[in-house]
Amino acid sequence: MMFLCIKHLLSRKKQSALILLGIVIGTAAYVAISGMMLGFQEKLMDQLVNNDAHIRISAREDVLTKAEMNSFSDSIHVFWIIPPSGRKDSAKIEYPIGWFQRFNNDSDIMAYSPQVNMNVIFNRGKITLAGRMIGSDPVRQIKVTNINDYMVEGSFLKIGSAGNRIVIGQELLINLGARISETLLISSGTSAPRPFKIVGVFSTGIKAIDQGTIFSSLADAQSLRGTPSEITDIAIKVRDPQTVEDKVEQLRFGARDKILSWKESSASILSVFKTQDIVRNSMTIAIIVVAGFGIYNILSILVTQKRRDIAILRSMGFTPRDILMLFFNQGLLLGLLGGVIGLMVGFGLSHIIGAIKIDAGRALNSSNQMIISYDYWIYIKAWVIALLSSVFSALWPSFEAGRLEPMDIIREGG
Amino acid sequence: MIVVQNLSKRFVPNLPDVIKKLNFSIQDGEFVALVGRSGSGKSTLLYLLSTLDRKFEGEVLYDGQDVRSMKEEDIHKLRNLQIGFVFQFHYLLNELTALDNILLPARKAGQINERLPFALELLQKVGLADKANRLPPQLSGGEQQRVAIARALVMRPKYLFADEPTGNLDSFNGDGIMKIFKQFNQEYGTSIIYVTHDQEFASRASRRIELVDGKIVFDGPQQ
Repeated sequence: MMFLCIKHLLSRKKQSALILLGIVIGTAAYVAISGMMLGFQEKLMDQLVNNDAHIRISAREDVLTKAEMNSFSDSIHVFWIIPPSGRKDSAKIEYPIGWFQRFNNDSDIMAYSPQVNMNVIFNRGKITLAGRMIGSDPVRQIKVTNINDYMVEGSFLKIGSAGNRIVIGQELLINLGARISETLLISSGTSAPRPFKIVGVFSTGIKAIDQGTIFSSLADAQSLRGTPSEITDIAIKVRDPQTVEDKVEQLRFGARDKILSWKESSASILSVFKTQDIVRNSMTIAIIVVAGFGIYNILSILVTQKRRDIAILRSMGFTPRDILMLFFNQGLLLGLLGGVIGLMVGFGLSHIIGAIKIDAGRALNSSNQMIISYDYWIYIKAWVIALLSSVFSALWPSFEAGRLEPMDIIREGG
Repeated sequence: MIVVQNLSKRFVPNLPDVIKKLNFSIQDGEFVALVGRSGSGKSTLLYLLSTLDRKFEGEVLYDGQDVRSMKEEDIHKLRNLQIGFVFQFHYLLNELTALDNILLPARKAGQINERLPFALELLQKVGLADKANRLPPQLSGGEQQRVAIARALVMRPKYLFADEPTGNLDSFNGDGIMKIFKQFNQEYGTSIIYVTHDQEFASRASRRIELVDGKIVFDGPQQ
């Protein structure tokens, strides 16, 4: 029946071309839109997953209560004029050694880095800016995050284990008007400012990090905070970031500290991705449905137009299945061909869009161009969607054609 | 041989039968004209005989086998290999050339290459050897009917059924069609059963079955 099917398609060149165009547009739109959105998502996801810890254990921020302060021997006779209140002075991980022992024996955990995270004030001449200091062991830190990849000047390891050296975000450096090898005064707010030498500059592309974060050694941060040997956070890298929730659940069992996965920290961004996916799929489905309706309509009309042909074919021994396949194969062929052309057009479109220069602020790669995903799954999905929509659209008219009896057609006058 | 036993057909319940308890047989190689006035049931009988209509009472036996008890697959094979059908309105597929139209039954049987020489021979015999690659709209009514006859004969069927094959043609083309029928009946022994209301064309058959209101009023050789 393929011979006759192709003859049918070629005899209605305009109709066939229009259906084909609908499928091509639908498929190409899916490929191009998915390429753009997923390229953006992949980059952002990479940053979400690798710029910070997969799991962060941080000190619980406790609030002082009256009961906690009643540690006097005869507390019944102690009366507070103003009861104690507010956050405890220094939050800390209560038993870090316990965590470290646990991580060392856990094969799911690739690396961990004890940290001191605190708010600080930067001073350079008359400029004063607030920001965040992360004190860590640099060797451990580069195993947990990919901060080393974002270094634009100097080396992250130069922080060393002590010596008041820092690596600073590029935008913060610019805002302070500072340069590498220069010294900044940094204060924790409760202590006197201390000088720190800039030994490196990083740029992650995320404004919030680049304009307010510095890295120092763990010992220097502890010293500045005035809490030697205490840590506020443990950053953890796991083997499979996608299954991080299970690990978090395990760690939370019996733990007093706050434990957060990267997915929980980035919940709002992940929900934006989901919304993007819904929009992308809805748009594409709408286009494909329109193309599918085109196939359905044209095949339905064709079946009506070709009733006489069906009667002739049936009278010469063609089976109902042959007739069904005659029309079904037309939808299938259009879907196959339209899908393949659509993939090629989509690929070409993706290249064109990927080459467009965009505003540096929104640029996602070093050459100020949008990152386009060429993930083969996009192409497989697009092709399958095109094929399925064609097949489903062709199914009903073909089924109806297969059910026609030659005598009914002849009696109705063909 | 086709044997018809107590064959009745009713289209609408509570209305009289259009074919009423007919009993007759058609021997292999017979040349039969079904005649009668409009509404006498001759076309209905032709469709019942040719297996295109299998909703009836009684029996239609092909070499002893009732067409209603045959498997669907066997019916399709019977139509493809042993039966040829010619409609009044030519009914060619407009997308296909004359030759491709003729080869359609062979395409179904998977015998394109085997049947190609015979298809070309048939084209020669119906006088269209030079029009093998023409599309139906490029042929006259008479030429289209001759292509339809060639298509019905390409598998060398045992039976050829024709519903008013000359009904839409002028007397010259009609005469040509009847000559082709006679030739195939004599050369290949094909049983030819055709419906006509034209007495002149009916007289070309060796046997005449005349229907009035669904009943046979005459069945015998031409007088």
